[in-house]
Amino acid sequence: MKHQSMFKAVGVTAAAVLAMGALASCTSVSAGEGSDTVRVTLANHVWTDIIKDRISEFEKDTGLTVELTQLGEDQLSDQYNVKLNAGTDEIDVMMYRPLQEGKLFAQNGYLADISDRVTANSDWNWDDFQSGPVGATTWEGSVVGVPTITEQEVLYYRTDLLEAAGLDVPATLDDLENAAKVISEDNPGVAGFVARTARSAAVTQFSSFLYSFGGDFIKNGKSVIDSPEAKAAYEYYGGLLNNYGPENVSTDMSWPEAAAIFAQGNAAFYTDASSLYKNLTEAENSTVSDSVGFAPFPAGPAGSKPYNVPSWALGINEASPNQDNAWKFIEWATSPEMTLDIQEAGVPGARDSVWADPAGTASFPPALAEAVAIGSETGVGYDRPLVISVAEAREIVGAPIVEAITGGDVDSVIADAHEKFQAFLDGENK
Amino acid sequence: MTTTTAPAVAAEVTAPKPLKRRKRGGGYKLFRVTMLVLVVITFVAPIIWMLLASFKTNVDIYNPAAAFNFTPTLGNYETVFGQANYTQYIFNSFWIGLCSTVLSLILGLPAAYSMSRFVMKKSAALVLLARVIPGVSLLVPWYFIFSNMRMVGGYEVLILSHMFVSLPLIVYIMMSFFDSLPIELEEQAQVDGLTPIGAFMRIVLPLSVPGIATASILSFIFSWNNFMFALVLSGSRTKTLPVAIFDFVAYASIDWGGLMAAAVVVTVPIMVIALFTQKYIVSGLTAGATKG
Repeated sequence: MKHQSMFKAVGVTAAAVLAMGALASCTSVSAGEGSDTVRVTLANHVWTDIIKDRISEFEKDTGLTVELTQLGEDQLSDQYNVKLNAGTDEIDVMMYRPLQEGKLFAQNGYLADISDRVTANSDWNWDDFQSGPVGATTWEGSVVGVPTITEQEVLYYRTDLLEAAGLDVPATLDDLENAAKVISEDNPGVAGFVARTARSAAVTQFSSFLYSFGGDFIKNGKSVIDSPEAKAAYEYYGGLLNNYGPENVSTDMSWPEAAAIFAQGNAAFYTDASSLYKNLTEAENSTVSDSVGFAPFPAGPAGSKPYNVPSWALGINEASPNQDNAWKFIEWATSPEMTLDIQEAGVPGARDSVWADPAGTASFPPALAEAVAIGSETGVGYDRPLVISVAEAREIVGAPIVEAITGGDVDSVIADAHEKFQAFLDGENK
Repeated sequence: MTTTTAPAVAAEVTAPKPLKRRKRGGGYKLFRVTMLVLVVITFVAPIIWMLLASFKTNVDIYNPAAAFNFTPTLGNYETVFGQANYTQYIFNSFWIGLCSTVLSLILGLPAAYSMSRFVMKKSAALVLLARVIPGVSLLVPWYFIFSNMRMVGGYEVLILSHMFVSLPLIVYIMMSFFDSLPIELEEQAQVDGLTPIGAFMRIVLPLSVPGIATASILSFIFSWNNFMFALVLSGSRTKTLPVAIFDFVAYASIDWGGLMAAAVVVTVPIMVIALFTQKYIVSGLTAGATKG
């Protein structure tokens, strides 16, 4: 008897589950053409947090409903890969990384052409956007995205250590090497310099060194990572970490690990993206929050040429039947007023006007705002090879960085990487 | 588990030859204790670290000097349950795990029984195939089909996808369990007037409760921990815990403390379930072996 009642219970539960499933399928709303629901997919970011808090304003003004999905960077990529590949029409607005995925998405026809939309409203003012980021969201002459967040490589340093050593803030890469040497010798246990060391993750931060030495990844469709300039850059970046980096430096560090070494007070200099500064300047993240200095990227033989890139942009899914309303959301989220508000919260925007406005730079540490402004002027609009399979390309051009950090035979690894990279480019250009 | 079963096994093996046991005395004991300690440290250390980190600020998490000596904060848990809406995610994970397990049992038990009693090797191989195919290769077609059916983001699609994992698991565990039950019992029941289905319901199933418990618990744990299916097929309303945990990883900032507190929230229920039901897990897993 007892078991019979158990089976009954199982049966009832099963019936309930099935009924619930049937009910749920009936209630799911389909958001089709001209639907009042805009489905927006955004990455976890301070920018997103601010937008999320203010979505109700947008809903009130337009009468539309926003259905927001928010995911981490890698999870977002995975989801796009599956969903866009399956031709989904369940995403209207998508936040994407123009340099990492832009070319792939545009080539596959995932991103709608919004060239006419961006120029339609003069108040919204498309001309206000910085040319570097705009270049990255343009594909074969068509605008496919609106840049939202920019970043530049800057030099972070410890003001107290520099003062104690009686050194000036390094203006050139030679000064930087010298200062790293002096400080690491004077302060046992403190590294002169720290930066990303992982093969793929380091590529973007290495790019500013490469440009400042006069090198590049690709020239006229050919690999130029074996040029004398590129070799010098590889050797400089790796040498700095090998000679003055943290002891037994791991070759698996991305920004969280490198920033942590600096934030724990174990390094004097650190080069990375301007967007990371709060990891170093907020007391809850950093033990040296009071003594962090900011400087423009030091000049190399070819001058100071940090990257100045749009890390994120908003685009419209080509397969979306609700593109008009999707554009309304993008127009609202990237308006001059909204960009200024977001920049005041510390997220660097892509509009020139917000950088010209004192209110737009007031929230940044003054030295950082200055470094960013200089970087925006002298910067290069990309921080990784501009190809379709970016992840694969990063693995190839990143190999000599790791070799240089470990003090190995850099020349032969560069020659090998150059050959592979050329073969890779030939394959993509077929 | 290791600590309680190991001495019993050792005693059983060595009991008939006490002399030999005395001979290998000290050295063996030391070896055993060292290995046990090593194993326990390896398994428990990450959990302790997670637990400690969930009470720390980010700056303390990175600081090796503050490994044990720090000022605890409850801020991370406030974030998890305050801003991050974790009660909803806990419910989602629980509901999807429960439904997929119950439905898999309803389909899997009769299937496993017939495969065991009527020796259906090909069907069994087909079920095993579902375990062999990597789930990730099915994601795009699944997403395509379910999105055309307008089902993506609902509970039912997640339950179905989790059944893809739990059904073969249940079938395989139960097949070996049914194999170990003496067929004479069922023959006896049929002599007494039960139909084969009646014998299955009234005789076989009640005898299989330990096996069913094992299979259900494992199936629930698999569902609870599943990340990949939920990442693509869930919506913001039906997000499960393993997906929600990544909300603490943002571009240019990672809230390690919040992440660890969320990890504790994900881990603790499953650890509690496993602790209270380990008797069933062990007896279910070994039942086939001893009766075989």
